[in-house]
Amino acid sequence: MDKSVLSVFKLVKAPIYSHCLSQDKSLLAITCENKCLIYRFSAGAKQPQLVATLENHDKTVTAVDISIHGRIVTCSQDRNAYVWEPLSDGSYRPTLVLLRINRAATCVSWAPNGYKFAVGSSARIIAVCYYEQENNWWVSKHIKKPIKSTINCLAWHENGVLLASGGTDGYMRIFSGFIKGLDSKEIMTNSPWGSKFPFGSLIKEQYQGGAYVHDVQWRSNIEKVAYVAHDGTLNILDYQGNLQSVNSPDGLPYRALLWINDHEILCAGYNHHPVMFSEASQGWKFARDYDKVATANILEKNTTGSSTNSSQFGSIQDEDNDENPTFGISALRKFKELDLKGKVSLEQKENAHENAIVGLIPYAESNGQITQVSSCGLDGKIVLYNI
Amino acid sequence: MSQSLRPYLTAVRYSLEAALTLANFSSQEVERHNRPEIEVPIQSAELLLQPMHISRNEHEQVLIEPSVNSVRVNIMVKQADEIEQILVHKFTRFLEQRAEAFYILRRTPIKGFSISFLITNKHTESMKTGKLIDFIIEFMEEVDKEISEMKLFLNARARFVAEAYLGEFVY
Amino acid sequence: MSDWRRIDIDGFDPDCRLTAKDLIPDYDREISLQELQPKIEQLRMLSSGGDIRGAIQLITEDPPYSADENTKKAYFHVVLETLSQVRQADIVNIVKELRVEQQVVLVKYLYKGMSLPEGQKQGGILLAWFEKLTQSSGVTPIIHYLSDRRTV
Repeated sequence: MDKSVLSVFKLVKAPIYSHCLSQDKSLLAITCENKCLIYRFSAGAKQPQLVATLENHDKTVTAVDISIHGRIVTCSQDRNAYVWEPLSDGSYRPTLVLLRINRAATCVSWAPNGYKFAVGSSARIIAVCYYEQENNWWVSKHIKKPIKSTINCLAWHENGVLLASGGTDGYMRIFSGFIKGLDSKEIMTNSPWGSKFPFGSLIKEQYQGGAYVHDVQWRSNIEKVAYVAHDGTLNILDYQGNLQSVNSPDGLPYRALLWINDHEILCAGYNHHPVMFSEASQGWKFARDYDKVATANILEKNTTGSSTNSSQFGSIQDEDNDENPTFGISALRKFKELDLKGKVSLEQKENAHENAIVGLIPYAESNGQITQVSSCGLDGKIVLYNI
Repeated sequence: MSQSLRPYLTAVRYSLEAALTLANFSSQEVERHNRPEIEVPIQSAELLLQPMHISRNEHEQVLIEPSVNSVRVNIMVKQADEIEQILVHKFTRFLEQRAEAFYILRRTPIKGFSISFLITNKHTESMKTGKLIDFIIEFMEEVDKEISEMKLFLNARARFVAEAYLGEFVY
Repeated sequence: MSDWRRIDIDGFDPDCRLTAKDLIPDYDREISLQELQPKIEQLRMLSSGGDIRGAIQLITEDPPYSADENTKKAYFHVVLETLSQVRQADIVNIVKELRVEQQVVLVKYLYKGMSLPEGQKQGGILLAWFEKLTQSSGVTPIIHYLSDRRTV
């Protein structure tokens, strides 16, 4: 295993579409089929300990997020979202959110202040939800125009007003999620993104040539937003509309990204390992791989010969060196080959993640620089990387 | 491996590698449904990606149709004469009737092709993508061999039957 | 209204879904075959003069995305001629000189060629191009091809 891999936790047998850590990094929430599992998480412990299971959804849970106050929000393909209030005995009390959407909810994100959150959906709607005291309910306001397709990802600016979204219509859009009574106008006075921010107004949009936008993240202090798309690119946009685009070195698209500091972004996706990009004087470019397995490139194999057979052939011949090489050897080899069919030889090195990585979140930080990153993948694993 | 088979399989391998980047995607049309978008007749165009046509010649082709959460791989197996046509039909039909044992096999091929596979995000989440690609490449290699072998057997048997039958008339 | 259950309620919302037409980017205007003629002449001249490298550069530089299907097809025949005139040994070097965007255009032509009967007859040479292209830049141009809505 590569040095950069700190630890690997195989938690469930199903894909983890989203994971999240609490403010103090002690609780880990993951999605698993139609449940959300909460683990007590400490770097010293061998394995995270399951402390609670949130099961109110009856379809696949697509996303989970924890607010700074410890409230957990989950959303699912059954069109609902729940806010889970932690109780003193360690259990959680669910409250249904009035999303008013009629298709799947796909992604959810708490605003930095923890008083509202946004839910993206297949109904071509972003619902911005907040708590209404008089009704004791989470209610929502909709952003509809000009969204034409499913929302894949959402991210709040640190000011809690600007909301970046990306979807399958190939647009990265920035909306205003300003809620009267919750947000103060003062916070936006010197924003370079504009002067007026009425709820739902489109602040900026960027067309990515029709490629699905998989993830979007803000770097608030330098007013930049980065997103990854299905054409295998990482794109960085600033408030002036300058766009920088960089290609994934091994071609495959990324599903997640994370700002490490102002000049470095970590991406991960269908290549099964994280990749660092950094900003130099001539623009953004590929910096280095983490946990890259030299033989991971399955495409190399077929250039050397007829795919797997030849390599198995080779290893078997080595084993049989001391036997009589003429008699019965072909029959024996044939049976051995049949026996090996579909098996993975043990020497083959593997990435820590055996399937696509779909989420990256910071685990440890020092001096504004993220030093450890946690990732979740379709293989049901959580992996911690040292950056 | 013959000279032109290798680039053909390489092309299929790379194309599949690119196409098998699937995500879990809930239907935009029907509430609470999650279906392979490539198989849905009326739907949003943005969910389909550009189809990839790879052909070695007129008789051996692969059509890969990718979408956001599923990929359909259609293979046209070489059929040089009528006997091969019958053999390919019988052979693929035999497999298709047992499609549930093959997971990714589609029960009927789409028009103009001998056999179709349907790979969804469920498959790529539970199986290794690399192995799925290996399987399809191996299938393409094997099926040609299998068909020509069967043809040889068939010819040998036909010859034997003909000899035995016509032997009656030899004085 | 006996079949009210069958009413397509989304039909009342006219822009609820994107059609194939919506995805095609808006071009300023359509390029006609006449306008392409000088380019075709130039291509013919380059490829008959043996300058395949120059011809490929020309092909991949500014493809007629905005033309209609017939024009594209007519233009493609010339492209196919050029592609099939190359010597196998030269492909590697020609491909190496292309930028990523140019490689994407080349991939578009290769896939298009293999989907048409005229191109399928030349399957061998198109596959040779494809193989050399993937050897030099892997899966990158194909990934770009997948989600690119501009067709050649």
